[in-house]
Amino acid sequence: MSLLAQSIINGLITGSIYALVAAGYSLIYSTNNFMHFAHGISVVAAGYMVYWLFTLAGTPFYATCLITILLSALFGLAMYRLIYLPLQRRGSSNVILLIASIGILIFFQNIIQIAFGSGVKLIGYIEVSRGIAFPGGITMTVLQIVILLISGIIFIMLYQFMQKTKLGRNMRAVSNNKELASIVGIDHIRISDFSFLIGSALAGVAGILVALEQNLSPLMGTNLMIKGFTGAVIGGINYVPGSIIGSFVLGMAENLGILVLPSGYKDAIAFSLLFLFLLFKPNGILGKKEGRFDK
Amino acid sequence: MIFSAYQTHIFILIFIYIILVVSLNLALGYTGLLNLGHVAFFGIGAYTSALLALEGLTYIAAMIAAGLFASVFGYLLVIATDRLRGDYLAMATLGFSFVVYSLLLNLRDVTRGAMGIPGIPKPTILDFTIRTNDQYLIFVLLVCAISVFIMYRIVNSPFGKLLEATRDNAVCLRVLGKNTLSLKYKAMMISAFFAGISGSLYAHYITFIDPTSFYISELILVLTIVIVGGLGSIKGSIVATALIIYIPEVLRMLDLPSSVLGPARQAIYAVILITILMIRPKGLFGKVDLE
Repeated sequence: MSLLAQSIINGLITGSIYALVAAGYSLIYSTNNFMHFAHGISVVAAGYMVYWLFTLAGTPFYATCLITILLSALFGLAMYRLIYLPLQRRGSSNVILLIASIGILIFFQNIIQIAFGSGVKLIGYIEVSRGIAFPGGITMTVLQIVILLISGIIFIMLYQFMQKTKLGRNMRAVSNNKELASIVGIDHIRISDFSFLIGSALAGVAGILVALEQNLSPLMGTNLMIKGFTGAVIGGINYVPGSIIGSFVLGMAENLGILVLPSGYKDAIAFSLLFLFLLFKPNGILGKKEGRFDK
Repeated sequence: MIFSAYQTHIFILIFIYIILVVSLNLALGYTGLLNLGHVAFFGIGAYTSALLALEGLTYIAAMIAAGLFASVFGYLLVIATDRLRGDYLAMATLGFSFVVYSLLLNLRDVTRGAMGIPGIPKPTILDFTIRTNDQYLIFVLLVCAISVFIMYRIVNSPFGKLLEATRDNAVCLRVLGKNTLSLKYKAMMISAFFAGISGSLYAHYITFIDPTSFYISELILVLTIVIVGGLGSIKGSIVATALIIYIPEVLRMLDLPSSVLGPARQAIYAVILITILMIRPKGLFGKVDLE
């Protein structure tokens, strides 16, 4: 019984990291309508930023986090302005943008590998790795509780932002109908700027948490991206709350799945779910019907 | 011996990649079948051929089996993704290569997982065993010439014109009473078949394979070559393969440590890919744009 409870808790923790990746990804997808696959490398770059600033340079932890989130946001904006926007201006199709974004991911993955080596890196912020035992035979580290709390707070803030603020409403307007939005005077390039800033800042937060929770490796970007993307597809890629819920479903499926399957199949579970959803329910559980299926 | 040992190695790789790239161009360029999972066919071919040869099958039979098995997967991929369009199709085909990768990694009883398969025998053809790289070079050159010739004949046949018509205007073709779905199946299966053949040549040349050889970084290389050469141009694919495999060899003159050399090569491929997409997405000899 305690094994099951522990697996559910682990599923929630994994799910909340996937959800942070997926939320940013899906925010960018819904406003820009193309697959920003390089989002995964934003997460990894943020993780290495923490390693560099905190572990190597000895910057205070909270300052490190702040700088990392800021730089992540700017990194995302730079990708949009320097690569995607010029491509869009010359009329490239979504498929070309997707291929370019895979190129960006591979490029930075290898730059990180050259700069930091291919071995795994530890952040070594030990204050948060203390385990706490809960009734029912569940143990969680302080960090894992922090992950659950922070991601919960961020999701509520993101939802409020999308629903209540003018910028959030404009974003949803662009996501809903780009032409109509520009007719009523919404500058969609400015909205895209903000979607990349906010989405990549979320990737920064995810990167910090991943860096603390797991070991860092340059190659983890692809895997994280597939997980975030799978979560987004399960929940509905063009609908941010859906992609968050989908990520929790994925986290649960992985952690409950390895109760019956060998633990090596964790990734296979995610890949199979991704493929099945793309084939049979490409708009996800909660996604809007206007998805570009069969268009 | 005409070339240095290292040059021979590069030439062998170039000929193996020419088959792989031209086969992708057949599907992606000529037929307009978006496929970001082509390296999966390459991997399936490599594993099939290696495992069968280790079981004692003669090389030619193992190579043909590798092509056929890969083309079965090509058939499955078309069944699975026929209803998808645009970036959903792109992601589904990419997802297909992830599924194959994780199967290679996890079906440990068959593929030995991350440990890979060592000691793949060098090909033996009619009692003659290919031992040196020079002999292997001649062998790959032959297989490459035959494969490219067949694919060249295919795209220039009436059947090839139908494939191009599928790409340009499928609706029109259906009005004319042609079965476009069956054309797609055939194109993808031919494409996968030759990818499987090149996978087999690769496995028996390197003599060791593991799942990481058939993953996203390999995909970037193949896509870069096809796009640089140009969609729908076999000549472009051949020229681009030679160019792009050769360019990073400049790095060797800088005397970089091997831990930097590999990632630097990958980074260069990525830069070439992004640059060509931004400057000239049609590539060197391309006839069509990507979707």
